[in-house]
Amino acid sequence: MAGEVMHDYHLVKPSHWPVVSAASTFFTALGAVGWMHDYPYAPYVFTLGFLSLLYCMASWWGDVIAEANGGDHTPIVQVGLRYGMILFIASEVMFFVAWFWAYFNAALFTPDVVGGVWPPTGIETFDPWHIPFINTLILLLSGTTVTWAHHAIIEGDREGLKKGLWLSVLLGATFTGFQAYEYAHAAFGFAGNIYGSTFYMATGFHGFHVIVGTIFLAVCLGRAYRGHFTPDQHFGLEAAAWYWHFVDVVWLFLFASIYWWGAG
Amino acid sequence: MAFKIAATALLSGLAWLLGGVFMKVAEAVTGMAVPRQLGFQPAATETMEMVASFHDFLMIIMTSIVVLVTALLLIIVIRFNRKANPVPSKTSHNTLLEIAWTIIPVLILMAIAVPSFKLLYFQDVVPEADMVIKATGHQWYWTYEYPDHGDLTFDAIMLPDSYYAAEMSQDVRDERDAVLADIQHLLGRGEAPEIHRLLDTDTRIVVPVGKIVKVLVMADDVIHAWAIPSFGVKIDAVPGRTNEIWFRATQIGTFYGQCSELCGIRHAFMPIVVEVVSEEDFKAWLGRAGAMYNTAAVDTPVRLAENATAQ
Amino acid sequence: MADEAAIEVGQAAHHPTGWRRWLYSTNHKDIGTMYLVFAVISGLIGFAMSIAIRMEMMYPGVEVLPVLTGGDLDAAYHLFNVLITAHGLIMVFFLVMPALIGGFGNWFLPIMIGAPDMAFPRMNNVSFWLLPPAITLLVISTMVGGPSDALTGVGGGWTVYPPLSTSGQPGPAMDLAILALHLAGASSILGAVNFITTVFNMRAPGMTMHKMPLFVWSLLVTAFLLLLAIPVLAGAITMLLTDRNFGTTFFDPAGGGDPLLFQHLFWFFGHPEVYILILPGFGLISHIISTFSRKPIFGYLGMAYAMVAIGFIGFIVWAHHMYTVGMDVDVKAYFVAATMVIAVPTGIKIFSWIATMWGGSIEFKTPMLWAIGFIFVFTVGGVTGVLISNAGIDQSVHDTYYIVAHFHYTMSLGAVFAIFAGFYYWIGKMSGRQYPETLGKIHFWLSFIGVNMVFFPQHFLGLAGMPRRIVDYNEVFSYWNFWSSIGAYISTAGVLVFLLVLWKTFRSGEKCPDNPWGEGATTLEWTLPSPPPFHQFNELPKIK
Repeated sequence: MAGEVMHDYHLVKPSHWPVVSAASTFFTALGAVGWMHDYPYAPYVFTLGFLSLLYCMASWWGDVIAEANGGDHTPIVQVGLRYGMILFIASEVMFFVAWFWAYFNAALFTPDVVGGVWPPTGIETFDPWHIPFINTLILLLSGTTVTWAHHAIIEGDREGLKKGLWLSVLLGATFTGFQAYEYAHAAFGFAGNIYGSTFYMATGFHGFHVIVGTIFLAVCLGRAYRGHFTPDQHFGLEAAAWYWHFVDVVWLFLFASIYWWGAG
Repeated sequence: MAFKIAATALLSGLAWLLGGVFMKVAEAVTGMAVPRQLGFQPAATETMEMVASFHDFLMIIMTSIVVLVTALLLIIVIRFNRKANPVPSKTSHNTLLEIAWTIIPVLILMAIAVPSFKLLYFQDVVPEADMVIKATGHQWYWTYEYPDHGDLTFDAIMLPDSYYAAEMSQDVRDERDAVLADIQHLLGRGEAPEIHRLLDTDTRIVVPVGKIVKVLVMADDVIHAWAIPSFGVKIDAVPGRTNEIWFRATQIGTFYGQCSELCGIRHAFMPIVVEVVSEEDFKAWLGRAGAMYNTAAVDTPVRLAENATAQ
Repeated sequence: MADEAAIEVGQAAHHPTGWRRWLYSTNHKDIGTMYLVFAVISGLIGFAMSIAIRMEMMYPGVEVLPVLTGGDLDAAYHLFNVLITAHGLIMVFFLVMPALIGGFGNWFLPIMIGAPDMAFPRMNNVSFWLLPPAITLLVISTMVGGPSDALTGVGGGWTVYPPLSTSGQPGPAMDLAILALHLAGASSILGAVNFITTVFNMRAPGMTMHKMPLFVWSLLVTAFLLLLAIPVLAGAITMLLTDRNFGTTFFDPAGGGDPLLFQHLFWFFGHPEVYILILPGFGLISHIISTFSRKPIFGYLGMAYAMVAIGFIGFIVWAHHMYTVGMDVDVKAYFVAATMVIAVPTGIKIFSWIATMWGGSIEFKTPMLWAIGFIFVFTVGGVTGVLISNAGIDQSVHDTYYIVAHFHYTMSLGAVFAIFAGFYYWIGKMSGRQYPETLGKIHFWLSFIGVNMVFFPQHFLGLAGMPRRIVDYNEVFSYWNFWSSIGAYISTAGVLVFLLVLWKTFRSGEKCPDNPWGEGATTLEWTLPSPPPFHQFNELPKIK
């Protein structure tokens, strides 16, 4: 049976990253719980676990990139990667469903304790047409720049690829900056009220995804400088772009429902 | 013994069906389960009667389905084993059959849906109430209020196991007798009430027979649930919400229920006791209860502590 | 010859030995094996807990658990809650899912569609390796404070409803359990991505969707349920975490939150979850029935799309777990109607299995006994499911032993029977050694009698009004509780026989041929040697 491999699938070599990653998540989780309950040394356990996890992720994806450049990603394997990314994004969508559910549960069935109105009495919400609208424009614009980068590589225009990615990364970072500014100047707190809870957790998880997406795009930018990606094979870039568009769409829902519809 | 179990199990369906027949109205009933009980507790409200008869109807359908499937499996075992049938057929489709076993269940479900919705809307739409009781769940006891009757308020705390011990110290005996005397006094009875381990509390909710009672159910710490099986009522006590449920008891007697949502360490120890009495007895109780609970309010924390240690 | 040697060397690079073979694995069969070993170990832990529960419940009074707590009664009551919580979580997340999806799914999904491995072999390994940390966190949770510093462990039930899981248990135990669920959830999501991609992208030439074995169909539907349901649970338990530790008020009415929000989110995950547990069983029962009847599956397409329908409906019925929370009557009416619809595709499956056997030439080997047992117990669990779908009657049985009986008939008997059916069906293929037939049958009969005796009387207890999750009960409930516990001890004998089966199989099992089951076994795994080579299908099979 030890016949020659006659198919194009990628039989990945054994790797120590999965088991080390899993161990890192264990220490991250353990450290996090310990930290929350003021156990001694827990912050160190958490930090070490988390750094180890980051290192694993970087190394693991580094292996993936090396395999891609080494020719392991045949057309059929690329199709598989596409399925994988789409499915991952689908699960992310459902994660945000939970936060929107929490928001609408409070906003539509307003409890008496917040005055029976939404936004709750005493909560001064953001003007949607101020920073939130600028952020909307920033994200929409970054969606076009990432498409520019994508089309540039299809045309074989590596300079266009870099420019498009540079702009996307910068726009993403600007969004995060504005969001941080907004948080710092919010008239309502995080703890103790349902408005703050739903607002910060929903926009906060979105903000986290923006940062992840920005890093993803930045990695693609770095790879572009190293000469990765060809007009025919650049799935890493496409995955980053899909992810970015997903983050963009989530923002549109956040903007429409929390900032605009839910404005005081 | 094993045969007895098998026989009991086989007869259980029948027993359920006949359950209603043997339910005779007694003078004052004890609304709790009995040993080896197979079905519901006897109904003491119209709701529970509907639940029981709907259950009996469903049991016919459920039993028929299980019997049908089991019979088919037995036929298969006998007729289609390798010895009896060495050459298998190759049939893998029969459109008519497939349509039949899709359509027939649909029809059965529609037949179920009609009484189901009737019961649901009867049970869930609260009619205009004759009186209101507020029940608030705590870890691990209930507080009852009678807002229509001068804000009568009292806690109902489970009687400790020590009250049921075969041998008990004189202190415990005195304490138990005092509690039972209070209940007896409040109910205006000639003798001390019979008590049941894990089911009886130091106070009882008293309601008049034949009146529509609306219970507003709340909680102030975690989720509990207020339930009386013979009334066919069960509703969660959720912090931050007021749920309502209603019943109209058709029989005089003592009816028991237990907290029905996991609420922590002593979830098993916060039972519910409802005493259904005649209209006159209710009025008399109101007078006595007003006198007792207004003065005895300070007594409650003491009993709580006793309860905790006596466990 | 020279070529072959070169290939052997090339294979060796992919085929590490010793501990590296397992820890660094990128091989679906090795990972499947690790999942199965993990499931057996955690299953034994969860089973031991259930026996402890039944020992306590055998007689009224709290007599057994205080032995473990040094006579401290409050600690014993809490221990009971910890046991029911951990039993539920372990059986759901660390027995049934790893066994059916991670174990048999990993082993046979690629083989059945003619693929050499999973789509993402390395990610497959992290799916597995997230589980030991997850269960370890759960184990650690039993050693740290729950409701108080002195009372250790999570006693909130596997459903972890707030406020009992927030203000009710301020200690770190609950946080550890939450993060354990996060890790198990991440494992499942990654696994789901892997399964779906494998099915969509790696079917051998000619293996169209409508030729796919039903086990593959069942895993495909299951994977979609996981992919879409688990993230909602992740959101819900993240809210628990921030409510507990960072002052948010998602579930705290004092801050405008709503405890019922958690229940909605939980059951939006939880109801699909119960189909996640049972659907793979549906799939593999179909194979076993067909194999031992020597007949093709009756109504294959109906069977496949019945599972798709069950999966879809599974997402729109969640609030039937919440009939007593005080929902609007019209909302309840909707959930009654939607829930009852599930009976239709489920009925199609039961009747199609029967029709598959009808006219067959059935050999009653051990896997077939488990499969027929599965049909029986699932029918019983199914009809009681129809009963409790009716909100009006559920008000009487909600949170009583009737519910415990119902979901154990579908899960403890249904899903676990499927696991054992799969074990006996495939152990020869997986290990190369066949199980001992007589012991297998003894295992089946002991288990069948035992578990029916555990759970059938619980219907009576539930109807009589005995609430679930209570550590002590009034003497009126003694009789059926006693027999239920006796049933548990009989099941224990069954488990011991199972351990003997394992021992015998690996010690002295007969060599298993490629296809031990004869002409009825038509799926691709029976075309391979037993055990299959480290990498199968280097040349993809062509499906006609």
